Amino acid sequence: MLSSVPSENTVIVADLEAGIGTLTRLPDQAVDVTLIVTEPTPRSIDVAKRAALVAAERAQGRVLIVANKVADPEDEARIYEAFPEAEIVIVPADPVINDADRRGVSPIDIDSESPAVRVLSGLSQTIGLFSGETLPG
Amino acid sequence: MIKIAFAGKGGSGKSSISGTLARVLARRGKPILALDSDPVPGMPYSLGIPVDDSPTPDDVVVEGVEGEPRWVLRPGLDAESFISQYAAVGPDGVRYLQFGNTWGHVSTLQRAQFAWSQVVKEMDPTAWNVVGDLPGGTRQAMFGWAKYANLLAIVVEPTPKSIHVGRRLRNISKAAWGPDNVAVVANKVENPSDIEQIEERLELPVIAAVPADPAVTAADKLGCAPLDQPAGPFVDAIEALATRVVEQYDA
Repeated sequence: MLSSVPSENTVIVADLEAGIGTLTRLPDQAVDVTLIVTEPTPRSIDVAKRAALVAAERAQGRVLIVANKVADPEDEARIYEAFPEAEIVIVPADPVINDADRRGVSPIDIDSESPAVRVLSGLSQTIGLFSGETLPG
Repeated sequence: MIKIAFAGKGGSGKSSISGTLARVLARRGKPILALDSDPVPGMPYSLGIPVDDSPTPDDVVVEGVEGEPRWVLRPGLDAESFISQYAAVGPDGVRYLQFGNTWGHVSTLQRAQFAWSQVVKEMDPTAWNVVGDLPGGTRQAMFGWAKYANLLAIVVEPTPKSIHVGRRLRNISKAAWGPDNVAVVANKVENPSDIEQIEERLELPVIAAVPADPAVTAADKLGCAPLDQPAGPFVDAIEALATRVVEQYDA
């Protein structure tokens, strides 16, 4: 499906299934950027490390670790320790996200200035989507 | 014997609930086989078993002959001997079997995964109570991976996304392979209206209401089993679930 979408002037944002199953089944070089979302827990970090390895082996573009629900400096340190050489985006724990989940609405429609939403809004800049930079891959 | 499989959206709490339930039942003297049908380990953390990435040896299987699966357990190795040799032994005597384990090289897992599937299909139904953890989402349920279960427990959080996945799983479970019983475990519940909402939307019995409990978050961050932390409302709810499961679904 990915390969059949026109690649010019189209941005595809794909939300893969939990775990690494879908990632292992993607053809090599299928995407420009892989965002690996993790939480600051050993179990989540374990999955993210496996996902990062698969993404790198399959040349799935630039790989970023997006650390979600980061509540304190200890959480942040845990992420940097686990991924010492990765590009990391820290998303703070934010009640707006929980609130949006429970209400079934988009967090950006509740509070576009909340800490997590601001970081996520900035992600498009971080990965160079709208800055004219050329994406790898 | 209890045969229960947990399904639900990714992050809904299946692994925490299934791992804790497995140990609570084991503490009550039941022989428990914990089945993790995800090559990425989730259950070991909630069971309190160290993650072990050593592969199942290739020679557990031989090539199947025509009419058999591609790989079958080697002669002399049946499901019970496979479990006694290769299932990890966890706290409270829980035995843990994972669907292979992977750092991404899925093709190398093929033999271990055929072995796992055969073991699940052929194990002695009178020997083990089974607590299974399916990966998040609907894929495995769709393909009937929980055929061993007489109870499918759908873990649902009180959010529209989680309820949506729960409803899909409920519909899928009506397929021919579907278990005799399907029920809901409501997780991260904050108030009675959460339970009402879930019950109403899924039209299934809610067999446990598991409250949001900071002790689970703390255990997650430490990478240890909730049961090895000071008891809190989460563990109390799983104890109550164990009682209900034994009373109602111990066939």
